[in-house]
Amino acid sequence: MAEVQPTRMELIKLRRRIKMATRGHALLKMKRDGLIMEFRQLLEEAKEVISGMVEKYKKAQQKLTLAIAVDGIVAVKSIALSCCQIQPEFSMKRKNIMGVVVPVIKREPVRKKATERGYGILSTSMRVDEAVEAYEELVDAILEVAEIETTLRKLIEEIERTKRRVNALEYRVIPTMEELAKFIAFKLEEMDRENIIRLKKLKTKKAAT
Amino acid sequence: MKKLAVIGDTDFSLGFMLAGIPETYEVSSDEEIVKAVEEVLKRDDVGVVIIKQEYLQKLPPVLRREIDEKVEPTFVSVGGTGGVEEIREKIRKAIGVDLWK
Repeated sequence: MAEVQPTRMELIKLRRRIKMATRGHALLKMKRDGLIMEFRQLLEEAKEVISGMVEKYKKAQQKLTLAIAVDGIVAVKSIALSCCQIQPEFSMKRKNIMGVVVPVIKREPVRKKATERGYGILSTSMRVDEAVEAYEELVDAILEVAEIETTLRKLIEEIERTKRRVNALEYRVIPTMEELAKFIAFKLEEMDRENIIRLKKLKTKKAAT
Repeated sequence: MKKLAVIGDTDFSLGFMLAGIPETYEVSSDEEIVKAVEEVLKRDDVGVVIIKQEYLQKLPPVLRREIDEKVEPTFVSVGGTGGVEEIREKIRKAIGVDLWK
């Protein structure tokens, strides 16, 4: 901080700044705590979503292996190629959680009816259908995971940022200002004392003449 | 409207092709993985990338950090078991408590 003149005006200004900083500090602490609460809630949900996705992945893999074993890899591959006509798409919008911008993924229903899938239902076995359905479910779950993971990440970032500001205020900014205020007050007192002594001396001098 | 992309080996991608995702990057070597990731990062029509868990470890740390921080596209790692450890570590660092997964 630049050297400040030990004047009463400066002291007043400083005291005002300390008050504001203290208020800001309290607000930031509230923000930090609020964020952490939101985060904890979200984490519970996230745990479920993620483990759900892992389950679906295992299931989808199994169904695929089964389909390949029964119908042969060539058949499955050719079906896969014809499936790609209708792509799953999604829109990413934003949401605001306590000041943090967070994604919202809206998925068009990925699951398609058996007839809309782009391959003939008569010439393929049920296993392929099941595998396809399992993978479609998996994709839905993956999108959910993407949304929640990103949200978690952003919240963590903001929590860290806010935490740092709280600590900076509490351990650096405010103590430094308070030190300075003490110093100015001391200096002012000193000057007052000097003035009193000077006045006394003058008085005695005057009285002597 | 954003699309999905998949980075994985042939078997991995096959299942997702069945679900209708044509944007699959079939990779078989480490360099191909890196190349595929870089390519996907350049695109802006891809919103979510599905990548096989183990590939993440094969990426150079700089790239990994970039993937970590980017929101568009979001990378979702599928398959392995170690995926949750990273987030757990971050949480512990940020909040101080291991709220564990």
